[in-house]
Amino acid sequence: MGKFLANRLGQSIVLLLIVSVITFFLINLAPGGPSSVMRMDASPEERQAMIDRLGLDDPVPVRYVQWLGDAVRGDFGTSFSTSEPVTDRVMSRIPYTLELTVFTIVFSVFFGILFGIIAAMKRGGFREYSINFISVIGLSVPGFWLGIMLILLFSVQLGWLPSSGVGPRGADFSFTGWIAHLIMPVLILSTTILPNIVRFTRSSMLEVVSQNYIRTARAKGAKESLVIYVHALRNALIPVVSIIGVLIPRLLSGAVITEAIFGWPGIGSLIIEAARGRDYPLVMGVTIFVTIVVIVCNLIVDMIYSKIDPRVKNV
Amino acid sequence: MKKTSRLLAAVAGSLLIFTACAYGEEDTGTGEEGTPDDSTEAATEGEAQQGGKVAIPIVADPTFNPWHPNAYAESNVVNRVLFSGLTKPGKDLLPSPDLAEDWETSDDELEWTFHLRDDVEWHDGEPFTAEDVAFTFNEIALDSSLGANNTSYFTEVEEVEVVDDHTVVFHMNSPVAALPAYLSFNTEIIPKHIFEGEDPWELNSFNKGEPVGTGPFKIKDYTSGQSVTLERNENYYGDEALLDEVEYRVLADVNTHVAQVLSGELSIFSLDDTSSIERIESSDGVGVYPRETTRFFWISLNQEEEKFQDKLVRQAMLHAIDREYIIDTVLQGYGTIADAGIAPALEEYYTDDVPRFDYDPDQAEALLAEAGWEKNDDGILEKDGETFEISFEIGIQGDLEPVSQLVQQYLRTAGFDVTLETMEWNTMIDQVVINRDYEMTLNWWRYPADPDLLPYMHSSTAGTGNNIPGYQNEEMDALLEAGSRESDVDARADIYAELQELMAEEQPYLFLWYPQEAQVKVDGLQGVPELAFGDALHYINEWYVEE
Repeated sequence: MGKFLANRLGQSIVLLLIVSVITFFLINLAPGGPSSVMRMDASPEERQAMIDRLGLDDPVPVRYVQWLGDAVRGDFGTSFSTSEPVTDRVMSRIPYTLELTVFTIVFSVFFGILFGIIAAMKRGGFREYSINFISVIGLSVPGFWLGIMLILLFSVQLGWLPSSGVGPRGADFSFTGWIAHLIMPVLILSTTILPNIVRFTRSSMLEVVSQNYIRTARAKGAKESLVIYVHALRNALIPVVSIIGVLIPRLLSGAVITEAIFGWPGIGSLIIEAARGRDYPLVMGVTIFVTIVVIVCNLIVDMIYSKIDPRVKNV
Repeated sequence: MKKTSRLLAAVAGSLLIFTACAYGEEDTGTGEEGTPDDSTEAATEGEAQQGGKVAIPIVADPTFNPWHPNAYAESNVVNRVLFSGLTKPGKDLLPSPDLAEDWETSDDELEWTFHLRDDVEWHDGEPFTAEDVAFTFNEIALDSSLGANNTSYFTEVEEVEVVDDHTVVFHMNSPVAALPAYLSFNTEIIPKHIFEGEDPWELNSFNKGEPVGTGPFKIKDYTSGQSVTLERNENYYGDEALLDEVEYRVLADVNTHVAQVLSGELSIFSLDDTSSIERIESSDGVGVYPRETTRFFWISLNQEEEKFQDKLVRQAMLHAIDREYIIDTVLQGYGTIADAGIAPALEEYYTDDVPRFDYDPDQAEALLAEAGWEKNDDGILEKDGETFEISFEIGIQGDLEPVSQLVQQYLRTAGFDVTLETMEWNTMIDQVVINRDYEMTLNWWRYPADPDLLPYMHSSTAGTGNNIPGYQNEEMDALLEAGSRESDVDARADIYAELQELMAEEQPYLFLWYPQEAQVKVDGLQGVPELAFGDALHYINEWYVEE
């Protein structure tokens, strides 16, 4: 296990380096630097003052080496747009994205596995067709469109749910207000991963239930629910766990759209703000953070994988 | 399994209903459901009353410092309410008193004296004095190393001198008649007692934390990425605000703005994408109102290209474009045809008694023939073996793309071989505005409520300034200079009448239209003057929510 972790750590550092080089050069060499974000009638002097202030006259490789040196020491610089440390800005947004993604994962895993089992057990029936149909819709309909449709239905037409924000926090916190604000963003974000979990659970279950030990269990007269939930499910879930790990990056990219539509102040909306404002240090900070999250999630999934399936060794 | 499905459906359903019922109790005070859908505002106007709040969308976190180089449009709509300027746009758009009660200029117009109010307090209780004004200009706006926002309006200001606690004098290098108008346009005064000795761009406790202004509302709560809430300033020097609170919601997606105003969660904003107008107009409790603005849309033809230097070609291109059709379709009627750059909103100065180049393809063809361009066998204009090819570069924002596609079609029909190149907005600014690497582009200018268009078409601003086409004409320079210096309104109006005639004839930009703002407003919100949204914010203390 120790060797495995050391290996993974080395790979992760190389990966982080590659991601940082690509991102840094891409954003810095893209046309339209921070001074182009100023209003269109800004004078050339105003634009030059900004370039001087942000030290953007140095060549990109020089600035990268400087950035890397600071980043290694844990200093990700200050945000161009707010002059606050990048780390502070990222950290202040993490809880919101975490809240959204945890709810989405719990919701998607629970309903994804449940619907997957139903689809597998009721093959050829109306329920399987319905679940498959909804999965395909969920996969193919763009989140931003579906988000607006949900707002029009639940906020505009029915007036049931708030269409944006996270609701009152602190002293004014209310449980129902909190949940109400979460429902639509979680539903939309779920469409990015739930259909995959359904499909994987379904095919995995189908494979497992056709195996001899399940037939044996049934032949011994075990109750069907016992066969499905105890004997079949544990083995069927092994590939599902690995797909959840793969889906985490998709979840984070889905958060960008979802947070923008629902005014959710998480990492997703910070990414948009950083890109729109040509806030180079912030773009770098968010990219590195997201990369680390993805690496850690994959590592955790690998470790869980080896626990639930002893045949898999982390070597 | 059936039982499980039913149970889950019941749980999910009851959770939704439970939260919905609970949510229904929260009242933002903006959704005036049940108010009759009436097309006229006056019909729903009632008694002004205190209380309630309005919610306004912004697309990103604001910076609470009007001079900060990162204070973009989303910051302006907040800062206008938190801070005050020396002047503000009057309801007739002429500069009207705000922190300055009145002002006068010396005979040579090189000294402007502003008499300040003596009853103004900052939100933290400190008195507002002339020192704050002098500090704002001398230490922030005029310090070229800081590159403060909006300083291009004050290049002729040499220094601001404090005469006494409530009098300042602006010493000018040359006369600028528009100074009071410039002082009303995103140039609010900031407190010396907080900024003195600090780096004004690094002072986050103010710029991103707790701003201290003199406006009718003060900061109550700010959550980055989510919202900014302002509360009434009980010590405001003007009429105390009627609303209790103003909430700015950070919503990056403009489609959400429309959805939220329909659900009553937003109260008022200016709609850039006119494609939603019909849907909003057909909904109850919310309306769309056209408002005059000081903007003009234009096509800029790079004057370094020889083919665009002939004014007959420029006039022919205008004849070839059916602007009326574009206004009626893409803009849903929210605009009027422009012949020059001075918008009808500036009633004192606007004139339509100028040469006009209405849609007339035959006339376009005749003018092009006069300029030596004839269609070849492929239907493309040709002169001395050269075909008329145009690369048309635009940035993606608002209605620019559909408008440009129509323009491209009209010009193609007239024989111009136009290739449309759309690009992301900041890339366009970099390529077209900063580097001038373009042939033809389409965009708009928005300017303070003053007819001084010198920065946009004077020879001195060609190449690097705001004269995007790089147009140069001595006669126009002389008129622009005369207009910018003359402070007598009648004499000025004469100069600008002559200038508009010359602009219309010369078309330094191809003037397209004066857009009207599509202002979206819930019916329950009253007391908003009939001004563009940005200008109406100066009167937010008069707004109220009708029960």
